[in-house]
Amino acid sequence: MAAVATCGGDAGSAGSAVATGSKSNVTSFQRRGPRASGTNDSGPRLVSITGTRPSVRNGQLLVSTGLPALDQLLGGGLAVGTVLLIEEDKYNIYSSLLFKYFLAEGIVNGHTLLVASANEDPANILQQIGPVSSSRFGHYYDASKRIPQELIEASKWHGFFLPEKISSTLKVEPCSLTHGYIKLLQFIQNIIYEEGFDGSNPQKKQKNILRIGIQNLGSPLWGDDICCTENGDSSHSLTKFLYVLRGLLRTSLSVCIITMPTHLIQNKAVIAHITNLSDIVVGLESFIGSERETNPLYKDYHGLIHIRQIPRLNNLVCDESDVKDLGFKLKRKLFTIEWVQDNYLRQERNIYPPGFSYLLKQKDSAWGEGSLQHSTFLMSFLAKATAFASRLVRHSEPLKQTGSGRICQAAGPRLWHDGRRQEAPGLLGIPP
Amino acid sequence: MLDSLLALGGLVLLRDSVEWEGRSLLKALVKKSALCGEQVHILGCEVSEEEFREGFDSDINNRLVYHDFFRDPLNWSKTGEALPGGPLGALRAMCNRTDLGPVTIALDSLSWLLLHLPCTTLCQTLHTVSHQDSCPPGDGSPVGKVHVLGLLHEELHGPGPMGALSSLAQTEVTLGGIMGQASARILCRRPRQRPTDQTQWFSILPDFSLDLQEGPSIESQPHSDPHIPPVDPTAHLTFNLHLSKKEREARDNLTLPFQFSSEKQEALLRPRPSQATSHIFYEPDAYDDLDQEDPDDDLDI
Repeated sequence: MAAVATCGGDAGSAGSAVATGSKSNVTSFQRRGPRASGTNDSGPRLVSITGTRPSVRNGQLLVSTGLPALDQLLGGGLAVGTVLLIEEDKYNIYSSLLFKYFLAEGIVNGHTLLVASANEDPANILQQIGPVSSSRFGHYYDASKRIPQELIEASKWHGFFLPEKISSTLKVEPCSLTHGYIKLLQFIQNIIYEEGFDGSNPQKKQKNILRIGIQNLGSPLWGDDICCTENGDSSHSLTKFLYVLRGLLRTSLSVCIITMPTHLIQNKAVIAHITNLSDIVVGLESFIGSERETNPLYKDYHGLIHIRQIPRLNNLVCDESDVKDLGFKLKRKLFTIEWVQDNYLRQERNIYPPGFSYLLKQKDSAWGEGSLQHSTFLMSFLAKATAFASRLVRHSEPLKQTGSGRICQAAGPRLWHDGRRQEAPGLLGIPP
Repeated sequence: MLDSLLALGGLVLLRDSVEWEGRSLLKALVKKSALCGEQVHILGCEVSEEEFREGFDSDINNRLVYHDFFRDPLNWSKTGEALPGGPLGALRAMCNRTDLGPVTIALDSLSWLLLHLPCTTLCQTLHTVSHQDSCPPGDGSPVGKVHVLGLLHEELHGPGPMGALSSLAQTEVTLGGIMGQASARILCRRPRQRPTDQTQWFSILPDFSLDLQEGPSIESQPHSDPHIPPVDPTAHLTFNLHLSKKEREARDNLTLPFQFSSEKQEALLRPRPSQATSHIFYEPDAYDDLDQEDPDDDLDI
């Protein structure tokens, strides 16, 4: 695992680390005295790569998935060296959108891209995205606009379009991996080695992240018959591919997104294998054409999003959110994910006294509509835990232990504030 | 809608079954393309050439380019007129066509091809054939649309191949009907938009032209029972959304801690009699730890 910690402020701060009082210092031990190395590197030997930030839990290097709402659910972002698997929705509308957000984030941050697809030319895929506005980490993309051409040309990308890479009349000897997968793995390995993402090229000072995107993996267009039959010839091909891919990713500064049509896979045991071989698995279920479209509970949403797996990287526990019913909806600029029952919380304003609502209606506050904090507040209020609810609103800084410790953990989503996680204080209180 | 099926390019699946056969619809669409002046290629694998050409008049028959794989699919007679490579070779040859007008390729039937060829190879070839118009040749001249019409018998295949082909197809037409009246359920997938789903009633005339019709009378189809009340989604939420009358009164009488009402204002402005002593009312909680020992007692001031 590439464990690269970043300095809290700017990387260009000269001098030793003693002078800087940076906020997210990894260690409290400072180094004094003359520096042993005579290199001209400014500041400490810790590097900062654009578009990444350390996780607040364990210092793991994270990149944004391109969708701030999804980053929040995954614990801050996608860890470098991991695979994000997206189980496609039936008509592949929203999964391709997430795929493009991921690539757009890479373009905006200046990361190198590698786009692999069997059904669409990678150049066409890159044309279909457009950035709109940025926030600190993760941007908001407008799906209907196009990215300016010069931005694509300025960015570095490699495309892998399967029909170009293999000719159809090639006689292939049977082998454990499908021919298309072998070619793709070789391509990825070449790029990683040549561009030095695995540290093999020590002259490169400026480290960068390689974002790999593979579209529709496992579909028959890749030559894999896992979607066509239950026990085909190449039934282990996909799992072997994922295993080798993960090995490549763990030893390089890269991150990968894969979309897979798991609704077509006939053998359900294979889906369990695939889930185990990936790090983060997110399933999308759109309501188009299904009977859930008429259910009034899901009226305002376009589908459900299921977080099926979150990895335990250098950890004993994983950062899984407790909320199970997450729905998403796609408005023009914004892909929002929220708790499905938020709709009713929003509508039933007459339940709680009007005095509280002005605090929640402030623009751009963390308590805005649809945020998890907002839902927690409303839930605890409606569950008649008024004391807890009022404490949430009264202090905008972290909750302090107030002596009597009679605050029980509220059921429901935990609090996120600016990406940092706050636990509601439990019974083990710090004495004032 | 059925007549604009060929407006979009790509793969069109015609799914039929034993009760509602689809070959006549296939022939009607072939006739329509031929009358529009498109080039029409037919891969005949399931029925003989004479049977397919039956019912077409001579000018249409002259426009059809028929590749016959019914009579001698494995090329045993070695006459040399059969195309090399079988049906797959013929399809691949169509991938590299040099003329650029719009073309319609009718596969009769796709089921036969699916049973005789590996599914992945067939999917890859179909994808290449139907997406030729998206990769224009180097000189930049516009390429006409390619329509691939595939007749698929639903009952012959399992959910795997059917699902794979459906995900590949731009349009899927499922034939059905009620009481002798045929209907086509058309599911149209455009690349980045919501799929559209429509049902069209039709019938095929003896000369294989398409006759679009209105559906049968509505009272023959019972709608959902009006006695079942609509589902109330607020019933199963984890919190209570309805206030009882007492609760509502209590809520209205509640004064908020930060609200500055006129009584409060007067109370603050009125000169307080006891300024020096202010009372603090403290009700200890069950968990409160009241320590009588004052830690400041140790200080020696």
